[in-house]
Amino acid sequence: MAHPLQDLVHKGWVWQGREAVEQLAPEQLVASGWAELDRRLGGGWLRGAVHEVQVLHHFQGELALLLPVLLAQEKPCLWLNPPCQPYWPGLRYQHLKQAPLWLQERDQKQALWAFEQALQSEALGVVVAWFDSIDASGVRRLQQSAAKHQQLAFVITPWQQTTEARAYVNRLQLSWAAEQLQIAVLKRRAGWPLPAFPCNVERHLPERRRLSA
Amino acid sequence: MSSSKLWWFLHVPQLLLDEQLSLQSQEQQQQPQVLCTSDGQRRRQVVQANRAAVAGGVREGMAEVTASTLLPDLQQRDYDEDREVQVLRRLAQWLHQDIAQIALYPPHGLLLAVHDLQRMYGGYAGVQRQLQRRLNSIAVHYVLAAGYSPLVARLLAQSGKNILSADKAVLQHELGQVSIMQSLLPAQQQQQLQEVGIERLGALLHLPVAELGARFGRNMFSYMAQLKGDLLPPQQWYRPPLRFRECLDLLTEVASWQQLLFPLRRLLQQLEAFLQVRQLSVTELALIAHHRDKRQTFVRVAFALPLWRQRDMLQLVQLQLERQQLKTPALELSVRAEDFSAREVQHGSWLPAQQDAYTQGNEQRQLQALLGKLQARLGEQAVQQAQWVQDWRPELAQQWQTSAAVQLKTAISADLPRPLWLLPEAEPINVSDWQLQWGPERIQSGWWDGQSMVRDYFIALDRWQRQGWIYRTCASYQSNESSEQWYLHGWYS
Repeated sequence: MAHPLQDLVHKGWVWQGREAVEQLAPEQLVASGWAELDRRLGGGWLRGAVHEVQVLHHFQGELALLLPVLLAQEKPCLWLNPPCQPYWPGLRYQHLKQAPLWLQERDQKQALWAFEQALQSEALGVVVAWFDSIDASGVRRLQQSAAKHQQLAFVITPWQQTTEARAYVNRLQLSWAAEQLQIAVLKRRAGWPLPAFPCNVERHLPERRRLSA
Repeated sequence: MSSSKLWWFLHVPQLLLDEQLSLQSQEQQQQPQVLCTSDGQRRRQVVQANRAAVAGGVREGMAEVTASTLLPDLQQRDYDEDREVQVLRRLAQWLHQDIAQIALYPPHGLLLAVHDLQRMYGGYAGVQRQLQRRLNSIAVHYVLAAGYSPLVARLLAQSGKNILSADKAVLQHELGQVSIMQSLLPAQQQQQLQEVGIERLGALLHLPVAELGARFGRNMFSYMAQLKGDLLPPQQWYRPPLRFRECLDLLTEVASWQQLLFPLRRLLQQLEAFLQVRQLSVTELALIAHHRDKRQTFVRVAFALPLWRQRDMLQLVQLQLERQQLKTPALELSVRAEDFSAREVQHGSWLPAQQDAYTQGNEQRQLQALLGKLQARLGEQAVQQAQWVQDWRPELAQQWQTSAAVQLKTAISADLPRPLWLLPEAEPINVSDWQLQWGPERIQSGWWDGQSMVRDYFIALDRWQRQGWIYRTCASYQSNESSEQWYLHGWYS
């Protein structure tokens, strides 16, 4: 019979301490552009990893959250199955250096194949993919590809059930409250999940009129 | 002067059958097979027979009825001269890698000029080695003979003499043995010569040329001059085509692309040889499956980067074919390519400035390779990249391009706060759900091409605090308020 703990490990509710021992070279971390987030993620996005960003609704601020990373890329980025057509004049206004490569593939299997191929190529900067959900083995596979080729990738999905573990290195959940984007860390490297904290993504958005002001 | 010139004649008496045999499995090749001609009313005749058929007693020129009586399980196919000339052309193209001057003598012969090659391959023996190495790698029956004039080489080879001596005396002696029947003279003259008792060319060579000329006319004059090596008529040298068109007979009907991969590999190998000779690479090719009812299935395969290796091309073609279905069985498969480009030199540099360019070029190539793979499997339109277009109308301000044209460009500056996302079609909305934040920005444009628009754009928040780019249409300046409609056109963030 499996140890009762095993069940909790499988659900991803148990953080195993040995992971904390690993030493990371500074160049393995990519600054997210948000100081509070960097602090919570132990220095930034880990290179060679797939990170998950869960959103309640699309266009909520998830792209603004990733913009600092995208802006830093010299190589072209691949956007896989975005919910809508990327608009280059707008991205250019945000000083993106290269128009993203836009790949739209309805068949999930094919899309995952393309994702994996993209992770294996050194020619791409960041890969951002939109999926409704990916099963555990799929995520593990992507994570392994990313780790092997030291690629940085993001998966943007709707809010997920948290009863099952996924091999993502970081799992963030975005919501909007008190006129600010709130980020909850559901899973992170070497640490407990963290409650939601506000992140000032408006920096990359048109100015809002404050109701309270 | 003329003695230093030397020609070889390659006689391939059953080229078409050899070509067909090379596509068959070992045990299939052991079956007796023949090619027959049937010209109109006359009975069918065997023109080419494989080893098993010859062992069974079948001879060239035998009536087909006789042959099939000798060997009941004899496989027979129609002889097609056009097809054989195609194969000969391909053979010439293949030999062209070693020998520059090749003249076609369809349907069974190739004339090779070897006198200029001796220095290149290290003497006469070197040329022999080089050519034989190449010929040994293909399963073709051939007779190769040397000659001090094109005609002599041709006569010797067609009479079945495998002789590669460069010595004129030896060649002349062999030439003397060739019968008048194989002299390539007009039939009437052959008969006249035989009537006066001249059976072999040796006897003809002893006769005074002037008298022969007086009796048989000017043609005999030039024939004798060629036979003696005094006259070397100019040849039409073969020029490799800059269009790759190869067709392969599958012999049986094939029902799926998977089964076509093996013959396809052969065709791509030929394409690789074709490209190698010219130092070219190819960016696009077409696969054509020919069906029984003369219809064709056409599959276009485009590569994101120029390729020339069979291995690379096959890999991408395979990915492409996984998406295709062959609706009806195919009888023939052909590959066509016309879009060639010169190969680029790929080498590193020690100079730092050029090193940058080198790594950049390398990245570009890797990107193209990735895109090639994605396109091959997901379709050509799968990956796209936006390009800036100078237009005030938001939906026309960018253009999507398939990534075959993707280049690492530097973009022009932008100073208008545009959204990061644009809906493909503007969505009608109820403006009361939205909270206007910024605006309006009037865009009025396009009166010149019939897609004119007058719109007032706003940035607004929806109930989930998402920032949208919305507009209202102003159909005309006199429009009344009630008729105006609001649309959502894009999203920020």
